[in-house]
Amino acid sequence: MPVRVVESSSPSQSSGQDPNSGHASPPSCSLLSVGRCFAGTQNVSSFQKDEAWKVNVRIHGCDLEHGYLCGTMEALNVPLADTPVVTFWEGEIVDAKNYTFFTGKWEATPEDDIKHWSKFQSFTPLLSQIEADGGKSLDLSNYPYIFMRWKEQYFVNVGIDCGLTIAGFYYVCFSCSDGSISGFYYDPNSSPFQKLELKCSNGQQLGFTFSSYELQ
Amino acid sequence: MPTSSAAIISRPEELTERLSSGGGTPTGGGGDGGGEEEEAALVRAIREVKNQIIGNKTKKLLYLELGAVPKIAAALVSPAASAALLVQAAAAVGSFACGVEDGRLLSHPEEKVVDAAARSLKMIFQSTVAPKYDVLQEKNMNFLLSLLNSENENVTELAATIITHSCQRNAEQMALADAGVLQRLTSLLGGFLNQRDACLQSITAIVKNNSKVASKFVIMANGKAFNSLVELMKDRNPRTRLLACVCLIAIGNSYPYFFRDIQTKTKMILILLELLEEHGRVGDEAPSVLTNLIADNEELHKQAVSNNAVEKLCNFLGKSPIEARRLEGVLLALAELCSKLENSRSLLMSLQVSHLIVDALKHDNADVRVAACTCIKNIFRSLKNLSAGNFSSDSIVVTLIQLLHDRCTSVQFAALGAICNVSVNFTTRKSSFFQYGGVSQLIQLSKSMDSILRLKSVSALRNLMFLLDRKDKDNILIELSVPMLMSLICDDEHLIQEQALTLVGNFVDGCGDSIKHLFAEDNEILNVISRQLCNSCAPGVCIQGMFALSNIAAVNESLKAAVMNCVIPPETDNSTPLFILKFLQNKDKSLRVASLWCILNLVYPGCESSSSRIARLKDVGIISQLNTMVNDPCLDCKLRVRMVLEKCLDIKNSQNDQ
Repeated sequence: MPVRVVESSSPSQSSGQDPNSGHASPPSCSLLSVGRCFAGTQNVSSFQKDEAWKVNVRIHGCDLEHGYLCGTMEALNVPLADTPVVTFWEGEIVDAKNYTFFTGKWEATPEDDIKHWSKFQSFTPLLSQIEADGGKSLDLSNYPYIFMRWKEQYFVNVGIDCGLTIAGFYYVCFSCSDGSISGFYYDPNSSPFQKLELKCSNGQQLGFTFSSYELQ
Repeated sequence: MPTSSAAIISRPEELTERLSSGGGTPTGGGGDGGGEEEEAALVRAIREVKNQIIGNKTKKLLYLELGAVPKIAAALVSPAASAALLVQAAAAVGSFACGVEDGRLLSHPEEKVVDAAARSLKMIFQSTVAPKYDVLQEKNMNFLLSLLNSENENVTELAATIITHSCQRNAEQMALADAGVLQRLTSLLGGFLNQRDACLQSITAIVKNNSKVASKFVIMANGKAFNSLVELMKDRNPRTRLLACVCLIAIGNSYPYFFRDIQTKTKMILILLELLEEHGRVGDEAPSVLTNLIADNEELHKQAVSNNAVEKLCNFLGKSPIEARRLEGVLLALAELCSKLENSRSLLMSLQVSHLIVDALKHDNADVRVAACTCIKNIFRSLKNLSAGNFSSDSIVVTLIQLLHDRCTSVQFAALGAICNVSVNFTTRKSSFFQYGGVSQLIQLSKSMDSILRLKSVSALRNLMFLLDRKDKDNILIELSVPMLMSLICDDEHLIQEQALTLVGNFVDGCGDSIKHLFAEDNEILNVISRQLCNSCAPGVCIQGMFALSNIAAVNESLKAAVMNCVIPPETDNSTPLFILKFLQNKDKSLRVASLWCILNLVYPGCESSSSRIARLKDVGIISQLNTMVNDPCLDCKLRVRMVLEKCLDIKNSQNDQ
């Protein structure tokens, strides 16, 4: 979800990939599948005022083998915007194979990483191992939470001159049990720890539904 | 006036002359009347040569000496040759080739005769229509070895050409390797240019797709044979460099365990990228050799991209004129580079060549059209671009739809593959499929007798249905019709059944209460799905069938009841086998998960009859089955089981509270 521009910043592009480790992929979770919708809020409060924007997320693609996820994020009641603002984001799934807990880019230091991941309760049991070996020996394949970084890549329905920025990224924790998502937005130039809270959304339907496509 | 028969038999010298003057270049006519007459004269001359040499070795020798064979062979490779000319030329060439095995021509005391015979026979064996030489016959093998051992380089080159032409089957490869042919060919690699190139092609033919022979080759002479190939990659002659790469790739593909050296492969990439710039055959073949080298190998794709392969290949797209073969190769190489790497796709997009690829979709040559479709298909594997609606101009959609009518089935297949991916588009671009008749055409093809056309068209419809507007979903279903959808669910091919069931799931998802016409006629479609789930052994069919039922069970109370009747027919007792119980016990975790979602939707809270459905699930043993699955080894299954049991408990507790 975009936030208001405070100051422009150019994220560094060094890679956060670590393809050397041979761990199993994170659990495949049918709640984290293409077409699935999530709805909730992002708290964008600052010192001046409390504010929360309604947010909808839809998953467009998921490739656990490569630790990749992508989708769109729609911010509904953005001040100064005439319409909901839609962005396309790409996700890195922390699987100790493709990506580790350490971001290594986007102006996030290892300390920033630990500070943000530690906000999730489900991260606590993993912390000691991460401090010991960077999490390389962790097997997350049976862990009921999936940790990700979501980085917005472009605005879908508005121009880049809309007065909003997508310079930061989200630390995200997905619960495989109920499909709820917690996240913290990180951008050194924005308010710290803006919290994203989403729940799996079934819309008007009386149950969970599934759509899929198959690329050739 | 009658004449004597002797008078109509032409003299060989005169006849050979006629092979030139009668239109040695049959393209010369350019379609005018003179050209046709010239070609007719050439056909007559070749026919006469053929009739004279059949069974007459003296005549064969005479015509060889007169240089008739190259003239006839030229007719064979002429792109403008008529069918009549090709038939006569091929038959004549075949007649010349017959009798090669007795070796009279090649052991002639006159060196000139030997050279002429070897050169002519080489031309014959370079023609695809020449007869195969049976190397499995002992006397033929001995003859071939004697040719390979000859001092005359034309003769050894001929031997190598015969091997390349005739060695196709595993048994032939084994026989040649066992006879020591590979050792001899390798020793000839140091010879003159033509001999070297012919030997490289022969080695390729012998090791291709044969791990046993390839493994023999790599250890031959302590690896010296293999190293000599690596050395030839750096040869001064471009064709030798290309053929050395082809040979090494054949060895690598046959015996991947040995050839894992990424450095040599990277060198090969650089050499092939250089060879792209060559004129003629070498440059035409280089892109397809590059494609073979990097096929399905992400690491090599990265190496190629980092060496500017995408930019270099794209440079050729805009060049005019460009040989169809080269254009096809360039497009297929780009397709390969875009098959896995998002970087390659983005790079290709940034080079602004999409209009040139669309032009290639309209090329006269069918192979080029197929290659362009394959390239578009792979570019559209980019979720990033599909989400942004990039590169999805109407011109691509319109041209691809036109190719669905193409006279070549291979083009239709390729166009459907591209449409499958283009139709996943997450933006409003999907509407162009309706606007330009794409949906109607896909529906027509889904009725085809050809199962591949049916499968690909239903797959495209399924992708098109993904997250489509409700109105457009309805339009597709109305045009497809429910009876047709049911017949696709019951298709003979289970892959088509699977796609049709996913199409149902995608249709129902998000349609809310307005899907009545799908369930008209007494829920017949549910009966059809249920029959497939009872009878099918294909996991994909069962998984998609269960997801379709899950989606239907999420629509409203009456459809929940209908799905319940599908899953547990009203007359069921404890002894009736239920497909859902079978699925819950299946070792395929995706099938267990799909079944659990269906059950979850049947007991979804807040629905008036959920409690009675829970009771029914309990009666037939499904709840007991779920209790045995609370520690399912698959985390997703375990969590869904717990979710179902929690919902059941919640509903029970709320009833107790009332």
